[in-house]
Order: sequence, then structure tokens, then C-alpha cells
Amino acid sequence: MKNYKEKFWQEILPRVQKPVRYLGNEVNAQSKDHEQCTMRIALVFPDLYEIGMSHLGLKILYHLLNERRQWAAERVFMPGADLEEIMREEKFPLCSLETVTPVAHFDLVGVTLQYELSYTTVLQMLDLAGIPLLAAERGEGDPLVVGGGPGAFNPEPIADFFDFFVIGDAEEVFPEIVQLLEEHKSLPRQEKLLQLVALPGVYVPSLYRAQYSPAGSFVKLEPVHPLAPTRVRRAVVADLDKAYYPTDFVVPYGSIVHDRLMLEIFRGCTRGCRFCQAGMIYRPVRERKKETLRRLAQKMVRATGYEEIALSSLSSGDYSAIGELIQDLSADLAREGVTLSLPSLRLDSFSEGLARQSQQVRKSGLTFAPEAGTQRLRDVINKNITEAELISAARDAFAAGWTNIKLYFMIGLPTETDEDLLGIVHLTQQVLNTYKQVCGKGKPQVTVSASVFVPKAHTPFQWFGQVPQAEIKRRQDLLRQHLRLPGVHFQWHGAEMSLLEAAIARGGRELAPVILRAAQLGCKLDSWDEHFRFALWQQAFAENGLELATCAQREYALTDPLPWDHIDAGVSKRYLQREYKRALKGETTKDCREGCLGCGMVLLLDEENRGVCTNADLD
Amino acid sequence: MRIWIEFALKEPLRFLSHLDLLRTWQRAVRRAAMPLVYSQGFNPHPKMAFAAPLPVGATSLGEYVDIQFATEITDEKIAALQAVLPAGLEILQWRVVPQRAPALMSLVKAAEWSVKIPNAQGLPERVQKILQATSLPIVRRTKKKVSTIDLRPYLYRLEMTPSGRLEMLLAMGNSGGTKPREVLELLQIPAAEAQLLRRKILLAAGPYLQSPMAVLLKEKEVFFNAEADYYQL
Repeated sequence: MKNYKEKFWQEILPRVQKPVRYLGNEVNAQSKDHEQCTMRIALVFPDLYEIGMSHLGLKILYHLLNERRQWAAERVFMPGADLEEIMREEKFPLCSLETVTPVAHFDLVGVTLQYELSYTTVLQMLDLAGIPLLAAERGEGDPLVVGGGPGAFNPEPIADFFDFFVIGDAEEVFPEIVQLLEEHKSLPRQEKLLQLVALPGVYVPSLYRAQYSPAGSFVKLEPVHPLAPTRVRRAVVADLDKAYYPTDFVVPYGSIVHDRLMLEIFRGCTRGCRFCQAGMIYRPVRERKKETLRRLAQKMVRATGYEEIALSSLSSGDYSAIGELIQDLSADLAREGVTLSLPSLRLDSFSEGLARQSQQVRKSGLTFAPEAGTQRLRDVINKNITEAELISAARDAFAAGWTNIKLYFMIGLPTETDEDLLGIVHLTQQVLNTYKQVCGKGKPQVTVSASVFVPKAHTPFQWFGQVPQAEIKRRQDLLRQHLRLPGVHFQWHGAEMSLLEAAIARGGRELAPVILRAAQLGCKLDSWDEHFRFALWQQAFAENGLELATCAQREYALTDPLPWDHIDAGVSKRYLQREYKRALKGETTKDCREGCLGCGMVLLLDEENRGVCTNADLD
Repeated sequence: MRIWIEFALKEPLRFLSHLDLLRTWQRAVRRAAMPLVYSQGFNPHPKMAFAAPLPVGATSLGEYVDIQFATEITDEKIAALQAVLPAGLEILQWRVVPQRAPALMSLVKAAEWSVKIPNAQGLPERVQKILQATSLPIVRRTKKKVSTIDLRPYLYRLEMTPSGRLEMLLAMGNSGGTKPREVLELLQIPAAEAQLLRRKILLAAGPYLQSPMAVLLKEKEVFFNAEADYYQL
């Protein structure tokens, strides 16, 4: 097949349902002549276009790499089911969007690992690309396959599929990686990997061997090459204000999930919620200056023509000068006819002033995340929000004109009892009452969303197992019965998807054959209800002598070796252990801006960028 | 200032839906920093509309968009707009229209199509047969009802060129019309094989059909322009 682009456009695109996903010629898309380029990098997001194009990390990397004239970075998404069928029928390989070049022809394939339920999609995409799924089976003609993103913080379940991983922030280290590969283009793959291993955040799994006990439990993971470090330190961009941030975002033609500009105001979070992986692995808090953000916003709007811009962070209300920022930004943007939206607001930071300032903002809906129904359980998870704060925030929101509020909870949190579940019902009723007090007549729309808790690596809850599925279903039923209230819509998530997520999230290399088998059985896009095939997953586990539920419910002792111990996320195991114990005692831990908690993060920072981090440990 | 723009939509963008195209124009205008006029109301949207939706997969040499700007428009500004349009959208001409002129969409009367057909065997005969028919009933299904329509009055012109293209002038718009797909179905041509090109859209100007760039506009009235090309029905 000589000309992939011509065949794709003339013979394939007219037959697919949403061709607008696959055009690759959107405004600001970067299309280069590969003959003129020294390095070709395929950036793979293992989900559909509409999801992948909503992901900030991919956008940053895409524009960052394309800044170099001699590097071509192109996007690759999972094709929809109709296109996938045509491709398999016609043996048409997976190609990049921009130039319709087979992914297998690129020098480097970078995969975003955003969630565990995308792992089979990664394998389906490698398969569609004609790249051997196991790194060990790849030859000199195949591209190197690298994974990054939160999934890389426990890379073990998918270690066999990747030549290497990048742990942490990619802005600084990824260009160094590409540069090194450019300089050593003629070296054999193994030699290239040995060059990379010296860079911060680079983990080459083939240089390590995992050991298991006769009973099958994890014992240790050891380097088998002198150049491989015992622990891989996360790459950290110390000064976010100076870090690269794109302004010429690609402008999709069709509507995507988050169809707006994203302005990352800070990275990291100081709150220390014990279930939250993002709150642990993105430390410390690093802000962009207000003036930097205003300048970026202006440039972004001019370069894209977007009508909306969203502030992005883990908890926007925690930005040190959020009031001023919103005031200045909304004034700037009003002149351009652009609206500002503020997702990720914490309840306690949603003040009346903030509500008033966002008056100009579209009143689509407001999401509050109390996470748990009682103060006792909120103390266990260290979500330091009180019922009074929730009610006061709801009052402010109703008074400012919102009628549509979403309350986000988790069920199956450690130590949860029925009393905590009924607490969710109680809180919901309080919100309804507040509406009546503020607005008198009419009816608010309160959506109560309850997801199932999934313990994640590098969090204080990493030692807990997930609550068994039958019990989760009973708790969901209990909530459903009690939340049949006028004006309340109860949303819950499939227990089975969360079960699978939990089984993979804290697993080790023993899971690779399982994931491989699931993909062979046809699993893909597992986070989509219409694609999720639980029975096939159960089969894949069983065929490898494992049980899905057992893996999800696996409890680790505090002293147990963990499959991800060799990944140094910055936060120390001692700190996580301390937080685990405090959780069981129902003791909260303060926001670390009020005093360093000695989480260990300081060890990854050079002196001028330590901010609030002062202690490596508390003792 | 209210203007009509004539533009071509080429191969790279032929898979855009009507809504995708509207979004693409709106964002381009914003990139060109040309302030739009917005509708009043709870959910304001820019005053911008196309003459007629183009089927997904078709290209065009004569599309039209009706836009209200908050400022004066000059050739320089149109050139700046062209510079930020994605490849595949080419502005051909533009004209100022009276503020109170009818919506472009409401004036559309017909469109000229050119269809490339890979296998034209037996087609000239079928075209002849259709032209000789006094009525061409087809069944049209909408979500609400099924009705039988006579296509014959909507076929203004239909012919095969020596190069094997099917050239058609079809009625379109508020007062009734047909789509190329319906005619292709009558001719037993599989839709996936036919490559559609819309050559132009024509407005009703008195008893004639004329290009939106040619008709004379005065206040709310549309007049026939004797100095430009026209079609007689």
C-alpha cells in the first residue's frame, strides 16, 4: 500500500460514521514532511478522539515536541468500532491523523496512560499498528514504545508491553529523551534504552526482574543491569511558571467532551485527601503567576477562536489569588466575548464572592464533592469539609442563581458503614431544604453521583482492598432506595468496572498475561458501557490462575513489599503509612500550606524551588 | 455591517457536518478579531447562517454564508479572515447587503450539482427515461410521517456530459425541492460511489434564478440583475 493517505481519504473515510474525527487537518494541527524530519513521534491516546482531544497532557506534549522544526509529533486515537472493522478487513494499519503515516513507521510511540481501563485499548492499537505487543518481541525495525501519565506510577501490570516509561512531568524530560534518541539513532534498541536510563523519570522495565513467593505473592523487584537505578525518581518540573505551555491548541471541527480551552493555573494539591492519587503524585503545588495566565489566555483565544476557557487544576479555589485572577481574567475575556468557566472548585473555597464573580460565567451546573456522608468518614479520608460548609456553599450558589447542583460521593471507602451512607441522604436533604429557604418555590435539580472507591498506588489507602462486589451492590441499592426524592437524581457507576480497575491498579507483573489475554479475547475501551465485557475479563483472569475479585480485594500489610516500591513518586512510604494509621484513628491532617508534613517531596526539589516543603520527614 | 460571502469548500473539509462548518466559521471570525453581532436573549449566538446545508462528503464551488458584523468590513479584513480559515475553505467573493434583507436561506430556490460517477454504463439511457417521464413519485420518510412526492417538477435540468459527469439543476428551498441523493436513487447509482460537487446555489429573482452575488437588493426586496448571468425556468 503505497499511498495511505489517498486510500484512507478516497476509500475508507466515505464509509465511516464520524469522519470528522479522523481528518487530522484541524486548525493548528501540525503536519510536517517526514523526509525533512529527524525524529517522528506518534502520540497515542488509547481512547476515541473526543476523549483524547480533551486531555491536557497530550496537548502540551504535542505542541512542545512540534516546537522543534525537525521533529514531527502526530496524534493517534483509537478508531471507532466501524472504522476498526474496516481497517481489520482491509488490513489497513493504524495511522497518525496528520499525515496518515502508519504508527509502525514512527521512531517513538508515546502512549498516555490515563486510567487502568484503557490498557486493553493500548494493546488493540499496537495490534492495529502491526507492532508486537510484547516489548521483548520487538525488533530493530519497530519503534520504541513509551508510556507516561498517572498509569505509569504503577507500571508493573503493563511493564511487558513497554520499552520504557516516563514517570512524572514530561515537559522537561521528554524533549531530552527525544534528543538523546536523535543523537543515538543508529544504536541498537537495547543500547538506546541504556542511554535513556540515566534521565530523571525514565524506567526501563526489562532491566528489572520481579520475584514472587511460591504462593504467588510479590516478593521484590530488582535491577538486573548495573546501569538501572534501584529506585526511579519521578521527573518534576520545579518552576511551572517558566514551563512550556501551548497557546495554539488544535481546534476540533466536531464537538468533543471538553470543547473549550484549558488553562492550567497550578499543578499539585496541598489538601492531602487520603484516597486521591493525583493529590499525592503531583506534589508540590506549583502555580503559574497571574500575569503569565492572563498573557496565555489572551494568546490562546487569539490563536484558536474558542468561545470558552476553563481554569484547570485539582482544586481551583486553592489558587493563592483566585479572586483577583477571576476578576482580571473575566474582564480581559469579556472584551473578547469569551466566557470563563471554573470546574474543580472545592466547597470550602466556593465563597459568595466567588459565586458573584462568576456571575458572568455560564451557569451550567456546579459540582460539589463532599466525597463521604458523615463527618466521621470525611475525617477518615481527610476531606476537611464540614456539613455547615456544604450548606453555606449551596446557599451561596442558589442565591447566585444556580439551580443545578451535583454532589459527588464515593462508596466503599475504608471503614464505611450504613450510617455513612445514610449521611449522604441526610446531606442531600439538607441541600434541598436550603434551596427552599433561599428560593422559596420551584425545584432545584440535585444530582447525587456515587462512584465506587478504588484504592490506588502511592496513596495512604494503597494497602486497603476494595469492598466485595455483592456488598457494593447492597450499598448502592440502599442509597437508591433512600434517594427517591423529588428533585434528586441518583447516578451510580457499575460495580464491575470499578472492580476491574481495582484489580489492575495495585497489581504487579503477574497481570500482564491477563491483560494480554483480555485483549486477545476482544476487550477494548473498557470504560465504555457498550464495550465493557466483564465475562471476558473474568475468563482472562481465570485462564491465568487468578481471580479478579481476589486481586481487587487484596489487602497488603504495612510492611509488605509493594509492586510499585521502586517508583519514587516523591511522597515517602513512611508518610503514607503515617497517614494510613491516622485514617484508622479518624485523625485529620492539616493542609500542608499550614506547615510542612514531611511527606518527603522536598528530596526531589532543588533549594530554590522548595516552597512550603521544608522537611524530609517529621522525626 | 451585514455581508454575504461566497466560498468554496474543498476536499480537505468535505466530511464536515453543517454544524461543524458553522463552528469552524465562527471560530475563524474570532481568530480574525472581527466582532460579530449576537442575538438577544438568554443564550446569545452570533448572527451567522449558511444559504443551505451541504451534504457530508460533498465539495462545493459556491457556498454562501450570511454574517452580521458589529463593524465595517473591508477587503483587507476579508483577506485577514481568509488567512485564518482552515485549508479547504476559500473565499471567492463578498458583498454588503442591506441590514433588513431577507435571510439568505429563505431566498434559495435551486442548486446546480455535478456528480462524478465511476461506472456510467447504461446511465445515459436511464437519464433519458427519467427526463421523458411526466411524474417521478418517490417515498420520503421523516420521523413523523411517510409521504409520496413527485420529483419531476424539481428536476430543472439533468444531463450526462461526454466526460461522464452527471450535471443537474435541482429545485431546493422553502417552496420544495429535492436532494441529489434522491435523484441518484432514481438512477440506481449507489450513493457511496458518487462524488458530489455543488457548483452554485441560486436565488429566486422574479421569474429567474440568479446567484446571490448577482441579484439586486434594496431594503427587503430582491430584484433580477439584467447585467449578470441568470437562468430562466
